Amino acid sequence: MESNGKEKFTPKIVGYLCNWCTYAAADLAGSSKLEIAPNLTVIRVMCSSRIDFNLVLTTFFNGADGILIGGCHPGDCHYDKGNYYTRRRYAMLKSVFKTLKIDPERLQLAWISASEGNRYADVVNSFTEKIKKLGPNPLNENPYY
Amino acid sequence: MSNSNNVLIIGAGIAGMQASLMLAKAGKKVVLVEKLPIIGGNTIKNEESFPNLECSTCMVAPVQQDVLQNDNIEVMTLSEVKAVNGQVGNFTVTINKKARYVSLTECIGCGACYEPCPVSLQNEWEENLGKKKAIYVPCDGSLPNVPAINSGHCLRLSGKKSCNACAEACMFGAINFSDKDEQVKIEVGAIIIATGFDLYGGKLLSAFGYGTLPNVYTSMEFERLYASNGPTSGELLLRKGKKLPDSVAIVHCIGRKELGYCSGVCCMYSFKYAHFIKDKLPEATVYNIYSDICVPNKSYQSFYNKIKDSNSTFIFQSAPDIVQIAGNNGKLQVKLTAGKGSKNSLNVDMVILSCALVPAKTSKELADILGIERDRKGFFQTRKGYIGTVQTSVDGIFTVGCAEGPKDIEDSVIQAESAVGEVFSLLG
Amino acid sequence: MSTKIGIYICECGPNIADNINIDEVIERISSSEDYKNKQLIIKPYKLLCSNEGKEYLEKEIKDNELTHLVIAACSPRDHEITFINICKKTKLNPYLYKMVNIREQCAWMIPDKKKATEKAISYIKAAINRVLHQSVLIEKQLDSNPNVLVIGGGITGMETALSLASKQRRVYLVEKNSILGGNAQSFKNLLPRQENNTDLVAKKITAIQENENIEVFTDSKLENAVGFFGNFEVTVKSTKKDQTANEFVVGAIVLATGFALMPTEKLKKHAYGKDDNVYTALEIEQMMKAKGKIVLKSGKEPKSVGLIHCVGREDRGYCSRICCNYMLKIISYLKDQSDTILIKDFYKDLCLPHKYDQEYFDTMAKKKVDFIRISDITTKKTHITYTEVNGSKKEADLDMIILAPAMVPAEGTEELAELLNVPLHPTKFFQEAHSQLNPIGTSLEGIYIAGGCHGPQGISESVLQAKAVQGKIVTQLIPGEKIIPEVKVSEIIPDFCMGCQTCREVCCYGAITFDPERGICVVNEAICRGCGNCVGSCPSGAIRAKHFTTIQIHQEMKEAIS
Repeated sequence: MESNGKEKFTPKIVGYLCNWCTYAAADLAGSSKLEIAPNLTVIRVMCSSRIDFNLVLTTFFNGADGILIGGCHPGDCHYDKGNYYTRRRYAMLKSVFKTLKIDPERLQLAWISASEGNRYADVVNSFTEKIKKLGPNPLNENPYY
Repeated sequence: MSNSNNVLIIGAGIAGMQASLMLAKAGKKVVLVEKLPIIGGNTIKNEESFPNLECSTCMVAPVQQDVLQNDNIEVMTLSEVKAVNGQVGNFTVTINKKARYVSLTECIGCGACYEPCPVSLQNEWEENLGKKKAIYVPCDGSLPNVPAINSGHCLRLSGKKSCNACAEACMFGAINFSDKDEQVKIEVGAIIIATGFDLYGGKLLSAFGYGTLPNVYTSMEFERLYASNGPTSGELLLRKGKKLPDSVAIVHCIGRKELGYCSGVCCMYSFKYAHFIKDKLPEATVYNIYSDICVPNKSYQSFYNKIKDSNSTFIFQSAPDIVQIAGNNGKLQVKLTAGKGSKNSLNVDMVILSCALVPAKTSKELADILGIERDRKGFFQTRKGYIGTVQTSVDGIFTVGCAEGPKDIEDSVIQAESAVGEVFSLLG
Repeated sequence: MSTKIGIYICECGPNIADNINIDEVIERISSSEDYKNKQLIIKPYKLLCSNEGKEYLEKEIKDNELTHLVIAACSPRDHEITFINICKKTKLNPYLYKMVNIREQCAWMIPDKKKATEKAISYIKAAINRVLHQSVLIEKQLDSNPNVLVIGGGITGMETALSLASKQRRVYLVEKNSILGGNAQSFKNLLPRQENNTDLVAKKITAIQENENIEVFTDSKLENAVGFFGNFEVTVKSTKKDQTANEFVVGAIVLATGFALMPTEKLKKHAYGKDDNVYTALEIEQMMKAKGKIVLKSGKEPKSVGLIHCVGREDRGYCSRICCNYMLKIISYLKDQSDTILIKDFYKDLCLPHKYDQEYFDTMAKKKVDFIRISDITTKKTHITYTEVNGSKKEADLDMIILAPAMVPAEGTEELAELLNVPLHPTKFFQEAHSQLNPIGTSLEGIYIAGGCHGPQGISESVLQAKAVQGKIVTQLIPGEKIIPEVKVSEIIPDFCMGCQTCREVCCYGAITFDPERGICVVNEAICRGCGNCVGSCPSGAIRAKHFTTIQIHQEMKEAIS
């Protein structure tokens, strides 16, 4: 039954988090013992600007249901202006997703500073809920999508 | 015998920490003495610091971690300098290390000991807006992430009752009730005083309703209110009545006339608060009540312009400290001096008093211990007749940051770096 | 040596052991098909960061001749360095090690033990897969030159040069004018509080000339500077006819090029240039120094003087910080000259940030000076029309007007910034690396800024900055010590590079240059900070971020999705 299928769907979300801000916020969320949906797997990078176009698309084509990019608030980047470039690339990626008929809501960018443990929990949990509603990555069901 | 390789820094705020890292990098051995159980000073009490409004904890955390992990820096928390003898190149310093009752090496910061503690106290670090236990760290994200026990309130240590709750919860045996205060003697070639500031806490505060009118706040209280790791997780919750304010009056220059100096930072932090308020409560009305706008850094005017143009209503007062604040049916009435175009009074939900920066309360005692002069404002005096020095009246003793006079973080760090330069010039 | 991966799982007391079934983790990974052909050693340990734990780990690495290491424990932000240091004690390269966060980001955030265990297994497998694709990275050690180039021979430059020379550094001091001294030599008395010797500048110049460690180049400017921290190859060229060039190597460059006053064309709205008796504050200082008194163009002493603050403040977008103070100084000159001079001081805000400034103002206020706060002011010749803050419009007819024009960066600042690739602040002064954590550095390591070129400030602050620069250089550029740059840097694969230079444009540190001969870009590993922004920008995928390569990240990503 369709509803059963949807219940069994546990999203697989990849989170590319920058070392200095978002990753630290994730640590703080953990130390504060906040409950965070286990669907997101954290991959640490030094700066969100490391996340290139291909990496995001490859992640999606490999079957990720959702992708979260986490970086420092604009102006706070540990590497001066890296996150401004992330922002531009993200805007471009959203547009490419649309062209490829992938729901752009599956890609999210979040600026989370190291002291925002609660915010990290909120962002991850609400993103997980959103992906649950969007359903599985269409490529997982139909590779020729 | 000279101890020119050792330096004592008193105060582990941003200036003290930066100086310690520079000295340590060049091979000097630094003893960093801090009276609180954590390092970071006043900067980490800010959610964001002007002018960039950068997250303070994110900015300072790598510095704190570097300091704690540096082999050349010995951090002594819960410590104070008690006596100093000798002269430049050869100071002998006696330091009182208060007992922490928790081992810095065994504790891994899991936090299991807080919940079982039966004693609840006001948290002064949180400006008494929140509570802590007798075994505590001042805030989330404290470094070192190791609690201390307030022996005066701990049931066991004060002899009131036998209690073992925290020790039982600790799986690492990190709690040690037989810890004792310790006195340590060190030998150093130079001393840098970086003890920072306190906020004005004089009689003006009560004159403006602070303490009697619940929704009158000091600037530091507002910092903690807005902080995401603060007692309200960043919600601007009022003490009484309404939940959130619809209107806020920020009154500048509190204490300026009485103290006889402008603190140079209050305008900027007031604008920061205006920005915070609109950020959380876009519909709120914000008033900046000022008598001068002091924006002495190249990056500050643009922030002032932004707040002036699209955030607050600015109301000029012909002199500082002449407003009158009174309760008015759950709101606060702020009476202004009449002037063409200005309102006679405002009715607001919240008042923030932007207080002046004053010397830390330990300054007088410390000056006596070190044998150095303080100026007529109570700050540590730099050597007279010299331009641009941080050397005090005693050779080999330097004063930097707000310990020397009110200033922003940028100028504090510049002074700290110049002290390092002067230490190297003096000692080699 | 055959591949042998050591995986050590820290129980962290109850913190990990209570929330993750470590036995199951060990069992599942040991028996995993993925590692059938690999040699795996997987063991738990009570507390790896303890002294015993560290000794245990060192022994394990050596005894088992491990080629790769995975530590599953708390956050790498807590203890990555601890275990890197253990690796350094053994033959295991610290970059063949990966730390996995199964505490903060696993055990502590997933209350369901089954789910937390699954997550831990996933993270550890990802780490094993990643570590097998990690490469040996060796720290470089670069020789450094302890000498310093100081550009600007004003008070800041001289102070910097003297303090560095006293630490036995060779200093090359470059000055565009024929004499040293800069702006300060124009002043009769110096702030603060005029308690200092007015021969300060002359004494500094003498000290510079007598110092063997300082080589001075007047009538000169920086022609070129190539290199990086510890190794700048600089060319200094004379602006005189002979155009002699001098080349040398320094480890650090200090920009102390000072300030100027805003262009006088902008002062025309205050009748500057239109009336002979409208002066800038600097001209008054020069007059005081030359003549010892303030007089009108006619030679007579003025009976009434108007001082106008904040000229150009709105236009330039910043407050020049010291004008309120130096206008008080000028008031004291006037009052010393004659008690009866009528003085009207027009200001928008009083900028008195130093702890004694308010007192200084209060003292002057007692001397029968009319301090008038205005919202608007215009001048026609020496006739002033102004609006007070309370709205009343008034006029004043005065003998002389003195303007406090905004301080701007000295001429040539923009060219110097371009030559060195040092960013400028929106106000056109040099941009500091980080206003709070690194206020006198720039985004280019080894290039520092101090004094008037940093921003509007007085002599006291400039001297402090000069000493701060000395402090930085003396602690970061140590004679005989090697400079160890970042290891996890980017590298450009020549065959894939199209030479589009996008990476060069996005790099915030100037670490990438274009090689026109080969038509490709090259990363200077001594400058690169390892952020990976260039990787993100490259349309050809030609850039590899060491220790964060695409293949390495793919290992983690694939495991996350499987």
